[in-house]
Amino acid sequence: MKKMRAILRRWFGNNSVEEPSENIDQLRVAFRERYHNFKLLLSANNRSLEVMAEMEQALQGGRPFGMSFIRSSSTRVSVSVFRMIQNLKSLSSGKYTDLDSRHTAIQQAIDAILKAEKPLKVGAPVLMLHDLNMEMIDAAGNKMANLGELKNRVGLVVPDGFVLSTTAYRRFIDHNQLQVEIDRLFQSAELGTVETRYSLSSRLQQLIIRSEIPEDIVDDIHRCWKMIESVDGKPVTMALRSSAIGEDTEGSSFAGQYRSELNVSFENALQAYKEVVASKYSLTAMTYRLNKGFRDRDIMMSVGFLKMVDAVSGGVMYSRNPVDDQDDSILINSVWGLPKSVVDGSISCDVFIVSRGPKLQVLERSISSKTIKYVCYPQEGVCRLEMLPEESLAPSITDSQILSLSEIALAIEAHYGLPQDIEWAIDSSGQIIILQCRPLEQIHPAMSEFMESPVFSDENRILFRGGITASPGIADGVIFPVSRGVDVLEFPDGAILIAEQALPRWASLLNRASAVITEQGGFAGHLANVAREFRIPALFGVPNALTLFSKGQRVTVDATHRVIREGDAGGIPGREVKKPNFMAGSPVYKMLQHVSHHIIPLHLLDPDSKEFQPANCTTFHDITRFVHEKSVIEMFNFGRDHHFPERSSKQLHYRVPMQWWVLNLDDGFTEEVDGKYIRLEQIQSIPMLAFWKGFVAIPWDGPPALDGRGFMSVMFQSTANTALVSGVKSAFAERNYFMISRNFCSLSSRLGYHFSTLESLISDRDSENYTSFQFKGGAADGNRRLKRVQFIGDILEEQGFRVEIRDDHLSSRIEQQDMETMKWYVGILGYLTLHTRQLDMIMTNPASVAYYRKKIQSDIGVLKDKAVGNK
Amino acid sequence: MDTFNVLFVDDEIDFLDTLMKRMKKRNVSVSGVNRGEDAIEFLKTHSIDVVVLDMRMPGMDGIETLREIKKLNPLLEVIMLTGHACLEAAREGMELGAFDYLMKPLNIDELLYKLQDAYRKKTIHEEKIRQLEKAISGQMTDNR
Repeated sequence: MKKMRAILRRWFGNNSVEEPSENIDQLRVAFRERYHNFKLLLSANNRSLEVMAEMEQALQGGRPFGMSFIRSSSTRVSVSVFRMIQNLKSLSSGKYTDLDSRHTAIQQAIDAILKAEKPLKVGAPVLMLHDLNMEMIDAAGNKMANLGELKNRVGLVVPDGFVLSTTAYRRFIDHNQLQVEIDRLFQSAELGTVETRYSLSSRLQQLIIRSEIPEDIVDDIHRCWKMIESVDGKPVTMALRSSAIGEDTEGSSFAGQYRSELNVSFENALQAYKEVVASKYSLTAMTYRLNKGFRDRDIMMSVGFLKMVDAVSGGVMYSRNPVDDQDDSILINSVWGLPKSVVDGSISCDVFIVSRGPKLQVLERSISSKTIKYVCYPQEGVCRLEMLPEESLAPSITDSQILSLSEIALAIEAHYGLPQDIEWAIDSSGQIIILQCRPLEQIHPAMSEFMESPVFSDENRILFRGGITASPGIADGVIFPVSRGVDVLEFPDGAILIAEQALPRWASLLNRASAVITEQGGFAGHLANVAREFRIPALFGVPNALTLFSKGQRVTVDATHRVIREGDAGGIPGREVKKPNFMAGSPVYKMLQHVSHHIIPLHLLDPDSKEFQPANCTTFHDITRFVHEKSVIEMFNFGRDHHFPERSSKQLHYRVPMQWWVLNLDDGFTEEVDGKYIRLEQIQSIPMLAFWKGFVAIPWDGPPALDGRGFMSVMFQSTANTALVSGVKSAFAERNYFMISRNFCSLSSRLGYHFSTLESLISDRDSENYTSFQFKGGAADGNRRLKRVQFIGDILEEQGFRVEIRDDHLSSRIEQQDMETMKWYVGILGYLTLHTRQLDMIMTNPASVAYYRKKIQSDIGVLKDKAVGNK
Repeated sequence: MDTFNVLFVDDEIDFLDTLMKRMKKRNVSVSGVNRGEDAIEFLKTHSIDVVVLDMRMPGMDGIETLREIKKLNPLLEVIMLTGHACLEAAREGMELGAFDYLMKPLNIDELLYKLQDAYRKKTIHEEKIRQLEKAISGQMTDNR
């Protein structure tokens, strides 16, 4: 039994040094297991670094992301780091257990951030409009709270009505257990592509429409509806309007993102409610939220029920000019019938400009041909009527109505202290009724970088002059007409969107379009609003635009000066300027910032320092770094300490014995090798051979002071000259060590005075391939040392490596390339390992620096030619 | 790599079908069930190397199923797959001995690599135990 215990101890405990030969099979398995563990650790290490890089990119802007990105990235990193710790523990027979508690602590900190949600105030599911004011945004949503404010505190006429509050929304979602399913569908879709967003949108909407409204809320709706009917003494129809939280706030208009249902009958109230709620997941709304960094759970749909106004005329007015913040004129857009066609940009409308003056005065009247109007059917629905020509050209409101509207605009602006965007209607008795209002964001004309005139050549023939500036600016691109929903899927990035009507549905394309042209629609529509918000130039009211321009034609749209020219504009000022990062400061963005604070920063830089301890790991990156470093050392020590002939380290024999040592981790040799030496021909490690090929490809000129000896002797000399190595104690710092398997190679080397490590995995799994190269120090003084690090960093970056330099520490990576490409990169590192040694000595001499830079570039060119020749 | 047997457990039938089809194209021998309970029954009568387990299922959920599987056969490797990234569940699963915790949507080739890595871990583990048994029985004979 004693013997058996010894075996077990050897097996599970610290492996002892002497290995009786009969246990050779066991040892082989032990090695294989260790190596597999190490490989798994490396793959988790890569995954973790990859996800951290993605998070960093997301923080820099450029692509929108949602909560599911944050949740899944954090989880991916956490799992990878957990796996690394487990793997390291098995490699080291249970050392480093402190890491577990570090992992737990970091994970809990992240979890706490992810779960922090503002507590929802529970209120009544249904609220009457006469009880509402601005303080009730959380329950009633912006639109309805505003309307309540206008009615109850400003004393304006608004339709009678009530609202299904956020409590009703939450109850509806909970009753059907929808949120879990919604989250799942979100995570499973790659939001980056329009196609998946498109199908996600329809799945989510169907999910909601199929769901059931809790019974007591159904009763409430019926009760309130009947109450309003009892005032009128006859059946009424209602408009159902979305009133989401976060909608209609300054800086985020959500213009037209959600659905409104006009003229809904009592019988269809429930279905219409669900449809409005479902519009939270319309493609347009989802895209908008994603671009703006709103969290799905933050948007709760209250729905307003407003008694339908059978409007004689209606429209939208601005208390100031939206495209010029220097202009305080009131702008009124007006059409016959319901204001719907102004809002959805489907027809041209009358525009009136009123100066505030000392006295209100109509400055301008521009009457359009309003060929259609929308009116209510008596039972339900909205009817589209063709107008007679003489009717269509008549002004849709009188001068006295213009002035009354202007007074209302001023009153609302004064009440809120901000410019306002107001939707209104006038009924058959001449009564002005306010349907909604929201803050208006004005654009400062000089603020847009696009405002200065670009350079035009003779080729920039003017194709069109006129139209309405819906959003100022200049941009060029190719024309892409859109008319059907599927066009959204095919719309190319950077194209110019051209459409007959300025419909809100095109808003989901505005983060991809460079400019917008429409035949109809005014600057008061939703699309114009969103274009201004995203700073996309938009020129509306361009007659026959669809026949005037053809798909694929390159044009320049100057919406500011209302001109469309042929071809690209040369030198549009600010053209290369990145669009502002719309997500910065949003709830989702802040959440990622907080979370990444526990993930991305790296504090443990120097493995030789005393600080390099599990206890000092405060981020997942720290743990990743720590575990990786220790795992390499554990692997190395195990091989070194075992007197297991076929797995002990061998001295590399390349023509002569060299100061390079090779440790076979698994299948790095072509055969079992006993004895002291390993010959290059016996090595089958793909990355090591690639490295060696680059290393010996071009003879070294010797150190900057040439000593005239041959290449081999120089190489031998320098690799043998380990006495120069500075006194840093690291387990395997003294010599150049390869740890290899068929697809893996890790090289720690001291050449001259610097220390470098290279790690590379090259197999036919492209997505797992990587090469990392770290470089540190040198014999020269700080300045020269830093310059050389920079010098090498520049070369690597030129070749396509991702390079990061901190102090005199360089780290670089390249990943996920195919085998041949990876071999080429490792070869470059081999070449550089030989040819950059001692260059720190000449770093203060610009002429020498230039000489070596040129030589290295041309050498790499030669290598490249050879590589191509070999293929 | 030699062929090995994978069991997919997922209540989302469309997802399961597609996944199985795509895995078969990559020469993996696959079976699929929709519930945790069915997975346990299946494992009692079939030889499986790696299980890919959805976390959220009606009835027995992923974590419970994982626990049962590990009770049944600790050498079986289990990869968790989920549409709901959840730090706590991930940690719990990993502590119960899951090989990895992956999130939908997933790249099919990467899943394949994971399966191969998990399978390799299992074979090495089995080999180690075989060697150990051999050593122990050798000792027993010696001691006699």
